[in-house]
Amino acid sequence: MSGRARRILFLAQIALCVLLVAAVLIPVFLSSMPWPLSARDYLQANGLAESGASNLVSAIYLGYRAFDTLGETIVLLVAISGTIAIIAHGGAVLAQGYGLPSGTASEPARHLPPKTRTELLEVVTGKLGPVVLVFGVYVMMYGHLSPGGGFQGGVVIASGIVFLALGSRVDASNSLTSPENLVRIESAAFALLLLAASSGIISGSGFFGNPLAGAGLTPVAFIITLNAIIGLKVGAGLGFMCIAMLGRGK
Amino acid sequence: MLERILILLLFLIGFAGIVGMRNIIKKIFGLTIINSAVVLLFIVEGSRIGNSAPIIDAEIGLVVDPVPQALMLTAIVIGVCVTALALALAFRLYKAYGSFDIDEIHRQVHRES
Amino acid sequence: MIPILLALLIILAVYTLASADLLHGVIALSGISLISALIFYLLRAPDVAITEAAVGAGVSTVVFVWAIRATTRRASPVKNAGSSSAAVLPEDESL
Repeated sequence: MSGRARRILFLAQIALCVLLVAAVLIPVFLSSMPWPLSARDYLQANGLAESGASNLVSAIYLGYRAFDTLGETIVLLVAISGTIAIIAHGGAVLAQGYGLPSGTASEPARHLPPKTRTELLEVVTGKLGPVVLVFGVYVMMYGHLSPGGGFQGGVVIASGIVFLALGSRVDASNSLTSPENLVRIESAAFALLLLAASSGIISGSGFFGNPLAGAGLTPVAFIITLNAIIGLKVGAGLGFMCIAMLGRGK
Repeated sequence: MLERILILLLFLIGFAGIVGMRNIIKKIFGLTIINSAVVLLFIVEGSRIGNSAPIIDAEIGLVVDPVPQALMLTAIVIGVCVTALALALAFRLYKAYGSFDIDEIHRQVHRES
Repeated sequence: MIPILLALLIILAVYTLASADLLHGVIALSGISLISALIFYLLRAPDVAITEAAVGAGVSTVVFVWAIRATTRRASPVKNAGSSSAAVLPEDESL
């Protein structure tokens, strides 16, 4: 078979695949089912009174659907550990199995190699990093009042950590961007999240319930606590993943 | 309706990238594009029933539906983790076979067996 | 307004998949994230907009650039660049 015919056949196969998927999806996309209003109406009427957070998105993922958030943080933990294991530790085992030189295994590097940094990078990211971190903490802590919350603040904090790691001088030790500290922060945040979630069982308000509801702790205080814990966990986890990857060169 | 057709096109472009590209990194690009298309679909559809952000204030009109927004918030964070995991696997494949091209990898696997 | 931005997204998506340099594809991909964040803001989803902007411009780009820097920037292998895979497949069948 000639090269041109083979190429046309390949393109035809792709077109067939795409058409089949489109045939499944087009009825779904073009149906005119009205969006259900009941959830919105209920949340707008009762969300603030029941959860204490005026940002309804925070009220949902930390109040009504907090169990889902717990599962999501577990997925995050597993994905990050898997990524790090494949890059760093599993890599050495695989390299032995394939007879590759063991130099292909990598370790999380503390600093970028000197040739990759320039004056501009160092000045801009080094000065911008702390500002981004402060903004991330603001977004994280005010998630119940304004747009923001644990996940949003966490990814902004991770960006700030990456900026600090890019901008820090080669010889300066930076305890925030060291992989060990970030791993400790993430593990501690996950343990704290489990502790905060199960403390509601002891006081009788159920899993992920407000543990001190009878003792005057308002629901919004519990939401702020959960926001801070999740923000720390997401920020430390994603920041650790990025720093572990930044250290790899050719 | 026009928005839905455009988002469907975006989804299909990402799917064609996953199916048709020979380069593994290009396949991961397609995965990311599909993720974006799904998030866009949820947000666009959920915003049809209101005209203010879902933050309760003293006097606002009807808010948009906050449920798809909370869903997509977690979907974005999970999406970046899945992308990182896929890239780590692609990195490992490149170190083992020296190429991102699936035909080349296929050939080398056959040669070994 | 929204359909125009969505059309721009489609153009960027095609460029991402068609570019010969993977690094150009990554930059177009973070452009997709940026325009998505703008759309979310216009559709009154500020929480999702913050997340998408931070993830797309920061974390995702760092991860992609790491993978490409640690391996190769070329989208297609050098040997059969520009031609189809017919040059490699016959010897595959001979094996």
